[in-house]
Amino acid sequence: MRLFRKTKKADTDSKVLVGGGMDGTTVLRPEDTAYNGMPSEDTVLSVRGLRVSFASEAGTVHAVRGVNFDLKRGKTLGIVGESGSGKSVTSMSIMGLLDSNSKVTGSIRYNGEELLTKSDQEMSAIRGKGIAMVFQDPLSALTPVFSIGDQMKEALEIHNPDMSEEDVTARSIELLQLVGIPNAEERLKSFPHQFSGGMRQRVVIAMAIANNPDIIIADEPTTALDVTIQAQVLEVLRKAQKETGAALIFITHDLGVIAGIADDILVMYAGRAVEKAPVDDIFEHPVMPYTMGLLGAVPRSDKGKSGRLVPIPGSTVNLADLPQGCPFASRCPLAVEECRKVEPNLEPITGRVGQFAACLRSDLVVKNHLTFTDVYKVGESTKSIFDGIAREDRNIVLNVNHLRKTFPLTGGGFLRRKIGEVHAVDDVTLDVREGETVALVGESGSGKSTTLLEIMNLASPESGTIELFGQDVGARMSGAERRRLHERIQYVFQDPMSSLDPRLPIYDILAEPLKVLHTSKNDINKRINELMRLVELNPDQVDRFPTQFSGGQRQRIAIARALAVNPKLILLDEPVSALDVSIQAGVINLLEDLQNKLGVAYLFVAHNLSVIRHISTRVAVMYLGRIVESGETEEVFEHPQHPYTKALLSAMPVPDPKVAREQRRVMLQGELPSPTEKIIGCPFASRCPLKITLSTEQQLLCETEPPALDDWGVPGAGLNHMSACHFTNASVSAS
Amino acid sequence: MLKYIVKRCVNYVIMLFVATSMTYFLASAFMDPRSNYMERHPHPPIESINRSLTNANINDQTPILVRYWRWLKGIVLHWDWGLAPDQSSVRQAVGSRIGASVQLVTIATILSIVLGVSIGVYTAIRQYKWQDRVLNMVATFFLVIPAAVLGLFVALIAIWVNTKTGVRIFYVTGLHAYDGGNPFMWFVDFLQHIFLPTIVLLLPSAVGYHLTQRTYLLDTMNEDYVRTARAKGLPLNKAIRKHALRTSLIPTAVNVAFSITGVFTGAVITETVFAINGLGRYFTTTISTNDINGSVCIAAFGGLCTLAGALLADIFSAWLDPRIRLS
Repeated sequence: MRLFRKTKKADTDSKVLVGGGMDGTTVLRPEDTAYNGMPSEDTVLSVRGLRVSFASEAGTVHAVRGVNFDLKRGKTLGIVGESGSGKSVTSMSIMGLLDSNSKVTGSIRYNGEELLTKSDQEMSAIRGKGIAMVFQDPLSALTPVFSIGDQMKEALEIHNPDMSEEDVTARSIELLQLVGIPNAEERLKSFPHQFSGGMRQRVVIAMAIANNPDIIIADEPTTALDVTIQAQVLEVLRKAQKETGAALIFITHDLGVIAGIADDILVMYAGRAVEKAPVDDIFEHPVMPYTMGLLGAVPRSDKGKSGRLVPIPGSTVNLADLPQGCPFASRCPLAVEECRKVEPNLEPITGRVGQFAACLRSDLVVKNHLTFTDVYKVGESTKSIFDGIAREDRNIVLNVNHLRKTFPLTGGGFLRRKIGEVHAVDDVTLDVREGETVALVGESGSGKSTTLLEIMNLASPESGTIELFGQDVGARMSGAERRRLHERIQYVFQDPMSSLDPRLPIYDILAEPLKVLHTSKNDINKRINELMRLVELNPDQVDRFPTQFSGGQRQRIAIARALAVNPKLILLDEPVSALDVSIQAGVINLLEDLQNKLGVAYLFVAHNLSVIRHISTRVAVMYLGRIVESGETEEVFEHPQHPYTKALLSAMPVPDPKVAREQRRVMLQGELPSPTEKIIGCPFASRCPLKITLSTEQQLLCETEPPALDDWGVPGAGLNHMSACHFTNASVSAS
Repeated sequence: MLKYIVKRCVNYVIMLFVATSMTYFLASAFMDPRSNYMERHPHPPIESINRSLTNANINDQTPILVRYWRWLKGIVLHWDWGLAPDQSSVRQAVGSRIGASVQLVTIATILSIVLGVSIGVYTAIRQYKWQDRVLNMVATFFLVIPAAVLGLFVALIAIWVNTKTGVRIFYVTGLHAYDGGNPFMWFVDFLQHIFLPTIVLLLPSAVGYHLTQRTYLLDTMNEDYVRTARAKGLPLNKAIRKHALRTSLIPTAVNVAFSITGVFTGAVITETVFAINGLGRYFTTTISTNDINGSVCIAAFGGLCTLAGALLADIFSAWLDPRIRLS
């Protein structure tokens, strides 16, 4: 029997049978009842047999296909999955916020009340009061034309129409203080555009907890935020949950974020729950091969590089055209013939309390204690052609000295007078040698991408020098010489969706850089064939268009395009951050293999510290356009010297619940200062946790004198490990 | 804010002065009032033509700068906008027509905004439902139908209604017929006259606002912040009205402001159909009769309307959206 809802007026058909009535009879599809047990006393939300489908041009998209779970009061349920796994659709159907073209069936009961039969009007009495939601992108979640105070007031008044004006203001201030917004009273009058992203997310959380909801649904609440801000917001969310005693549904693709916050975890794949267990069990002994893959495919930020990453082969399924059997079968190393015929249900695992998995091979996995490395084939990495050659003996590919880049700030009016400067890159010095990967890491606005663009510019920088292969790019040179320089340096962008022309077939995309070099048609064909094999794509597919490839494949094409002219240096700007976790590993492996085979050097920009730790040999940490610490990756991660690096590393989410729970985070105060601000002393001084422990005299030094990047004679520090802090020694001994 | 408006107004006065002066030079260069007389058979004596033209300050034998200076002095010192080739005063002609035009245009503009925006919102919320489809079809119909056809059509229906009922409910010509002293009767008479031309002016611009407002609202309706508002507990319709409508009104406000001039001078067909002496008809007459002073006066009036509209649009946008700062 189906329960039916459109977003408009509910279809209160007499045929509708509400699941789980007083007598406990739930009429559902047989496979939906497999999830055992009736909801217990303290269950605030119980979802049974939830199915959501949308009509689309490609056919009916089955976004959610039978999800069951119970949410207990005060507990946190983490829903993990990649894009298209149905996790957000699940949360939106709980809120009743799906588009009107969606078809929802099954049962969602909140405190025993069926939600799916309610009309929009009836649901709005529950939304915000019983169930509240925090969305992914704080920049667009607040109405730009209303003040924060008005929006807070609305959240309170809609459910408490009798509340007096003073009470509303008092409560709003209280809530803003709770989520850690300073000067709450004044900030009520501010508008959203006057807040940073992290601050806006705090406001959204404050609005969500305004009416003490029973359930808070947080849909990727920190994905759009920087690591240090992410740590702050997670802390606020935890505090908000404690204050209200609400149950939390935390949706994310990042297992690291969820490890420290969730009690139970539901792993979703292709619209279904494929594994469900208490958080420790999921991380310690996952059963479903997909869960194993998710956990194993991500590099660990808290541990050194242990070897090659293991990607999950293939790509996610098309929800409009699902194959028969288990949707993961085509990517699963354990799949047998039966997996392709029957889709398994979420069943309890024998011998494991509270763990469920939807896998026909679960008995095999449990019996033989199979782990990630047993299930997935760990590949061999190719030997580097520079193996055994010390770094000092390799040629310098790129040498950047005291690079500066400022952008003028102009005033309004006719003349557009210059009223200030943004110091995007401020005194950056770094070098890259053959066959190595140098990573630039930092939060948004730290100047990483600008540094890359300045190098790519191949022109004399505003200040400082850039040398490529020993040649100053600012020097006068002939067109042919410059072209040769261009040939040896290439760029890979973050988003493979927008960096490849959607109207050019792959052949033309790959041929373009070669045509510029006047390569003959025959050679081009040969080279393209070679390139497609190099990036592990089928050479027969060169006549296809970029949209016909998945995200990971498209990034491979972008890499192939960069490799076409045999460059010696590739600049990579966040090359894997737009990719799903299971795809990421494959691209990282490819990059490593290519480096080993071809000896190409990478300058790699990323904000994801675990990826950096895995791939780079050297790392430079940037803050406000300056390098605050640089050195060999292992050395910097193991023995960070600069207080900012320490804070950054401690804020990093670790995909291990035990470590995450004990992780001591250095909470940074405040926000990144505006880049337009003129900072005389150390740029980090305003947020530095070390500075407040210093004497007044020492603090004065921080505020007036910009520290140089130096090794400061730290005992035991590795070669070339430098930090830009006056009190590096104090910082090192403090840890 | 006040300082900004004052600054803007000073800017606008300068702009208006430059624009009007340029129109004066252009009109003087292109229009040939002498031909009005020369085309007659037999044409009047040259001296008498020259006398008439000089008297109206449009004689092409007088240096242009001298004429310009006289014209400017007349406006600045006496608010005298000069004479038409037939020696009638431009100021009086425009003055008497502005009243009729304002009555006609103001009512039609306000009603068309209210009606168009409301229907736009109504249909946006019901996108692809039957109400939306029907109203869109109606809108397209009125959008493509020429004003003259619509005018005659409306007039015919009114006459049919009048003959069917045997009572003269609608007047199809002029704006006033009652000359008694009863203000109520005067008002009823006015309504009977204004009703038909208002409908003809209103329909095309209302459907225009309907279609654009629908698009603007559909754009903002799916914004994340509308979803946030719903998540707070606002029902769908309220969330849209409160959170999406405001930002979507900004482009409409700008449209309205810049359409004011067009409405004044563009009502010419409606004015012709319903025999109303308005600015639109005057505008075409000035051009066809080589009336330099008259057409410059209309251009100045149009410029004034545009600039006033621009200022209103700025103020209205700033009021709607706090991110826009007037400074």
